Amino acid sequence: MAEINYTAVVAKDLEDLIPVFIKNRTKELDSLKTAIGAGDFEQLKQLGHRMKGVGNSYGFAPISDFGKTIEDSAKVSDKATIDGCISAYADYLANVKIVYE
Amino acid sequence: MTEAQAPFRVLVVDDDPDMGAYLGLLLKKEGMQADIVEDGDSALVRVMTDPPDLILCDVMMPGLTGFDICQRLKGEETTALIPIVLITGLDDQESRIKGIEAGADDFLNKPVKREELLARVKTLRRLHETRKELERRRLAAEVERKEAIRKTFSRYISPRLADRIMGDADRSGDIFAKAQRSSVVALFADLRGFTRLTDRTEVGRVVEMLNEYFSILSEAAYRHDATIFNMAGDALLVGFNVPFPQADPAARAYRCAQEMLTQFAPVADRWESEQGIATGVGIGICMGEAVIGNVGSPHYMSYTIIGNPVNSAARLMQLAQPYEILVCDAVYEELRGIIPPEQVEARGDVTLRGRAEPVKVFSLRVPLPQHSGGGA
Repeated sequence: MAEINYTAVVAKDLEDLIPVFIKNRTKELDSLKTAIGAGDFEQLKQLGHRMKGVGNSYGFAPISDFGKTIEDSAKVSDKATIDGCISAYADYLANVKIVYE
Repeated sequence: MTEAQAPFRVLVVDDDPDMGAYLGLLLKKEGMQADIVEDGDSALVRVMTDPPDLILCDVMMPGLTGFDICQRLKGEETTALIPIVLITGLDDQESRIKGIEAGADDFLNKPVKREELLARVKTLRRLHETRKELERRRLAAEVERKEAIRKTFSRYISPRLADRIMGDADRSGDIFAKAQRSSVVALFADLRGFTRLTDRTEVGRVVEMLNEYFSILSEAAYRHDATIFNMAGDALLVGFNVPFPQADPAARAYRCAQEMLTQFAPVADRWESEQGIATGVGIGICMGEAVIGNVGSPHYMSYTIIGNPVNSAARLMQLAQPYEILVCDAVYEELRGIIPPEQVEARGDVTLRGRAEPVKVFSLRVPLPQHSGGGA
């Protein structure tokens, strides 16, 4: 995965949606942790697919990238890659800086 | 709010509430109405109860997928024309092929770029609105065409028969457009004594009386599903078994004639008490092959019936006394079972003007118990 850009440039008109968006990502992170703990790769694939679609749409490109990695890795049951990705996702959510334009 | 001002309504179907909210926001900013549902079953219910103008639908959802929704809606006549945009991954070629097979109108890539979303939606909106406008014009033209045909029909036939013809959408345009040859029963009715009456009556009153007379006869004709072909002077020509075949045209004609006489009798009594002159209706009925069609010139067309039965019915009408129905033998044969013998009198062979062979003629009397003038 390329270097992570911790600055998300978000369209100004999406500002009202962002608090809920971030809250849902935190819940998503919990779901990812639960799924990897249970070895539920089908659930991980679905969660990754959803992240891939929604991240970039809002201006959070790394979320889409994490999603793609998780979805692809879940298809081949690559637990190690997913573990690393979940950690990186947690770090991203904790440090991301949002800029509205 | 008028239809022109009504917002374009988009149904967004996505199990991810963040994607639904994102798409909804972008559409609302463009002045569209966005309704968001999170699963396929809710989408189908919403479409059936409140059809949108466009559907944006995610492909991968728990339960019904975007393909399933697309296939169901495109398979229903009432929803097949609603455009559906499937939202798929950019690299998901397989989904695109499945989407095309399911009937999707367009695709949108995930992640969704707002410029692409709005461009696609606007294009589909234009197409949809053009399609709706064409459909509106087609329906308006259809209503106009039917109304024109109904107006044409109503000159000749009862509203009940007009409704029946209008219900037969495939044939309604042809009924009066094409000439036809068929077996018909022609009934001619004529008002006797009216010429003398007109000599003594003020002209405005004469028109009122004629209108009253023709109203009674036309109502009777309509009640028995006759087609009115001609009103001239004080004579009326109607036909049965035309434009549609009737199971019992001769019996209908007889009952119609009966009703004309019984309904007119009290009016004649009133006229006689007012004006001092007796009037009555004489009727001739005959049946046979005739030609029916629109005849005339570009300046004046008339739905007309031509042939021997019409000529013979006219001659019989001339021979009939007031309150007498004269019928040819072919008509009498059809009526033999329904008319009491005491009401029938054979008039023997009568040579009718214009016919080479004599015709057997029968006089049918109609009981008119309350009529001061009496029957034939």
